[in-house]
Amino acid sequence: MTTETAARTLPRVTPRSFQHAGLLVVLVLIVAYAGVATDSFLSSNNLINVLRQVSVVAVIAAGLTLLMTAGGMDFSMGGNVAVTTAVAAQLLAHGRPAWLTLLVSIALAIVIGLVNGAVVTFTGVAPFVATLATATLLDGVALLVIDGMSVSIGEHLSTLGNGRTLGLPNLVFVAVLVLGLTALVMRYTTFGRDAFAIGGNEDVARLSGINVVRDKLLLYGLAGALAGLAGIMLLSRLAASSPGTGGLQLQLTAVAAVVIGGTSLAGGRGTVGGTVLGVLLLGVVANVLNLLQISSYYQQISVGAVLLIAAIANLVRRRRH
Amino acid sequence: MERTAGMRAEEAVLRVRDVTKSFGGAAALKGVSADFLPGEVHALMGMNGAGKSTLVQILSGVLSPDSGHLEIGGHTPRNPRQARRLGVSVVPQRRELVMTLTVAENIMLGDLPTSGPVVRWRSIRQTARDALHALGLEIDVDAVAGDLTVAEQTMVEVAREVRRGGRVLILDEPTACLGPEAATQIRELVTRLRDSGVAVVFISHHISEVLGLADRITVLRDGRVTWSGLAKETDERGLVRDMVGRDVVSRRPARTAEPSEVGLSIRRLCQGRFIEDFDIEVRRGEIVAVLGPAGDAQSRLFDLLSGRRRPESGTVSIAGRAIRSGSIDRSLAGGLRCVTGDRRRLGLIPGLTVDENLLLAQDRLDRRKLHRWGRLAERAAPLRDDYRVVSLVRNPPVEQLSGGNQQKVLLAKWLGTGPAAVLLEDPTNGVDVAAMAEIHTLVDALAAEGVAVLLASSSAEEVMRLADRVVVVRDGRRVAEHRVDDITRDELIATTLGGALR
Repeated sequence: MTTETAARTLPRVTPRSFQHAGLLVVLVLIVAYAGVATDSFLSSNNLINVLRQVSVVAVIAAGLTLLMTAGGMDFSMGGNVAVTTAVAAQLLAHGRPAWLTLLVSIALAIVIGLVNGAVVTFTGVAPFVATLATATLLDGVALLVIDGMSVSIGEHLSTLGNGRTLGLPNLVFVAVLVLGLTALVMRYTTFGRDAFAIGGNEDVARLSGINVVRDKLLLYGLAGALAGLAGIMLLSRLAASSPGTGGLQLQLTAVAAVVIGGTSLAGGRGTVGGTVLGVLLLGVVANVLNLLQISSYYQQISVGAVLLIAAIANLVRRRRH
Repeated sequence: MERTAGMRAEEAVLRVRDVTKSFGGAAALKGVSADFLPGEVHALMGMNGAGKSTLVQILSGVLSPDSGHLEIGGHTPRNPRQARRLGVSVVPQRRELVMTLTVAENIMLGDLPTSGPVVRWRSIRQTARDALHALGLEIDVDAVAGDLTVAEQTMVEVAREVRRGGRVLILDEPTACLGPEAATQIRELVTRLRDSGVAVVFISHHISEVLGLADRITVLRDGRVTWSGLAKETDERGLVRDMVGRDVVSRRPARTAEPSEVGLSIRRLCQGRFIEDFDIEVRRGEIVAVLGPAGDAQSRLFDLLSGRRRPESGTVSIAGRAIRSGSIDRSLAGGLRCVTGDRRRLGLIPGLTVDENLLLAQDRLDRRKLHRWGRLAERAAPLRDDYRVVSLVRNPPVEQLSGGNQQKVLLAKWLGTGPAAVLLEDPTNGVDVAAMAEIHTLVDALAAEGVAVLLASSSAEEVMRLADRVVVVRDGRRVAEHRVDDITRDELIATTLGGALR
């Protein structure tokens, strides 16, 4: 890129970073409070642990950001994670090599995503309804695969789950890579801009020569692939697949992170930057409440409250324009 | 010539005095005064951005003025609810009916008669019927609002506001995008409202319409009143000068070469009751207008040509090659570009920037994979210049532009893609005189380049200005075809309305 074009791009970038100023301030305040209120929050061990924990949600949220920007929704990514971890755990437990396990489980996750995409695109069922149905279905399938028991994978995938490079967990590198690529795709590829166009006005997108059907299938397929990757990451971290791994709770956390980050449920607006802040905010809040030894009941209540406040704040900000 | 209104100020039901309003340093209204009298049609005119909508928002209590004051029968409303209680209602350009409810329910909305918790249906329907009859309207109260024509929806809204006790009715471009017949019905309704003692505030870009209908006219330019007085004291040229600040000349250019090759040809196109056996042939460099089909039939033509919908039968060909019907890709690949008259629904993507909207179609036609912002700005620049798209900041989301500028972005988006044939649907919809003249010049230039232009318009003036030939359509069938040079505007309107030509 020449200096001249870089200079032209610059004025557009500045207001975008301001867009999340409020969220950033909230995050900094919570971090500051946690630093004062607890001894251990700011220890490098704890911070690294937070990052390691949020990396799975971050990968799901990245896919969801792109999909929701295009006006889509996939409520079954958590279910997809559950199925992927279950299948991968069984394959590894039965002595299959890691590469085959990865290949099979991610291929399966992509197929699940494509099925969602096909249902949404060709039948016109609302994405929320269609994927809520598959979510329930997948949660059941996951239980079937592990037969309702915990399946351990021993030392398999431990390089991914517990390994570190340059002092940071490998899981974090995977998440950063996925988020970075998603951000680049959304901003610098026609496919990414198509997502904004489809989410902004699907009719106009179609009339402008955008292949909406292909794009939607790709978007749901990609969401599936990232759910599969998140499943592998989760399995590597937990070293076992148990009933309740993944599923709706994970899904709701990811949706909450994306919405807190300012991505519109109606489509047409979304940024990876916001999603990163949303993921970190939820991760930090959960960690702080843990350190303060607050009951998990209150943790759920506080996550719900954060989501509600953020959603309202996003609307208020938009109205002011 | 400044402000002659106010002579009969004591009778005014609504008056504004020296109203000023700024938004973040930019003054939208500067010392505006006006009086609105009962039994009078008072037209507000001005270019896009002259301050009309700000004034309307102040009149209806949505905004409060920075200085100056507003008075309705001795009271000053602080919000839209108070304004409405004092009798000021707005019928906005976008219809505000609940499209899934019946006409009767819409008229009675928020004020449903009940016995205890039970809704009294008979009373609803009777009151609604009376409200419509009082205005001389024949609309079925049991019809679902979404099934009505745009003109009928406007009428229902007017009836609702009058029933609620509206003494000042602000009609924001009620005839935009209506065919001649429907526009006439709305104008008749306005006349009846005036005769019943309502103060009507009428907003329109159509100068001839305003001159024929309004008793009093106030012209705004850059937030100031540049002229106000009785309609009979001014004329078209004076109004244009007051609105634009200079004369605007827009005349049909003499077409030099006699066009020969057929550019766009439509054969025996059928779609339900909207389009029956429709034939038309547009040669390269020719502008042919289809006048008459407003609303459904017009958008049906757009759907069929753009490939959004498959016709029941018939063919469309570009330069002799038939296009497979019902495919947007084939239609685009064939060189046909369809520019919608419904910018919001089918034209632009509001949240994307001006540059992205300008190149939305071109980039997809080029099958670009990467989106390079620097290059995008470079390629969009000539389009912005050619189509004179003006924006305050360099590249805002397109939704922040004025209506006229959005319309220019829409035209540039499609006409900049090297079309062989073009369908233009009401290309100057909601656009001020100056922008209208610019857009007309652009369409002239398009034809001069050898593009076959099919113009689907609801305005006889626009047809007379742009077209070489005009095909008049009524009830989905073509009823007449004329060379524009051989017919006058009034004869053309008479044909559309079904009157016989001498």
